[in-house]
Amino acid sequence: MKNKLKVYRAMHNLTQEQLADQVGVSRQTVIAIESDKYLPSLGLAFKIARLFKVKVEDIFTYEGEENEN
Amino acid sequence: MIVMDRKKYKQLRVVVTLFVGAIVALAVIGNSYPLSIAGVLTGIVFMALVRVKAKIRTDEREATIQEKAARMTYAIFAPVIGIAAFLLLLPSKSGISVFSKGEWLYVESLGMVFAYLTLFLIAIYAISYHFLNRKYGGGGDEE
Repeated sequence: MKNKLKVYRAMHNLTQEQLADQVGVSRQTVIAIESDKYLPSLGLAFKIARLFKVKVEDIFTYEGEENEN
Repeated sequence: MIVMDRKKYKQLRVVVTLFVGAIVALAVIGNSYPLSIAGVLTGIVFMALVRVKAKIRTDEREATIQEKAARMTYAIFAPVIGIAAFLLLLPSKSGISVFSKGEWLYVESLGMVFAYLTLFLIAIYAISYHFLNRKYGGGGDEE
């Protein structure tokens, strides 16, 4: 799973802390998602997509089987 | 309702624990059992009120880590304690004279404690698995 969270965050001028507060997670979680170390839950993925007003698949891209979470 | 993240909740818990510890220490020094009971009860009631009145926000990554850590703990602890129980009980049941004299009574007792602990652990796992399975939609007959 790949994501463009960092790109969208930069586009919206948000810090990791601000994004974390707005979607209700810790900054460590945002860092982990951005560095592809943690796969967010479906709920969190939708929250992030809703925040940036895009579809989930615009931010998160599934690239087949791999070592997930 | 107050929204509190888990970090703040943990900090609050540490403060309350320190407070209760100090009260109990004072009670022990002053030889006053009612004071120690009052201190512990105050701590319990305060934490219960915090849990009821405040919404504690849990980070989902932290929850995932806790789940994995719990699974790993069970996967390591259950076999280790089970094997330990078996090894501690084995000599006493083998009929070797030194064991039949009761010289290894404590070892056998420890083995029994470990064996019951293993059973208790497996029982808790099985019961919680059963309830969580039902909670998350498993075990239903409807199609």
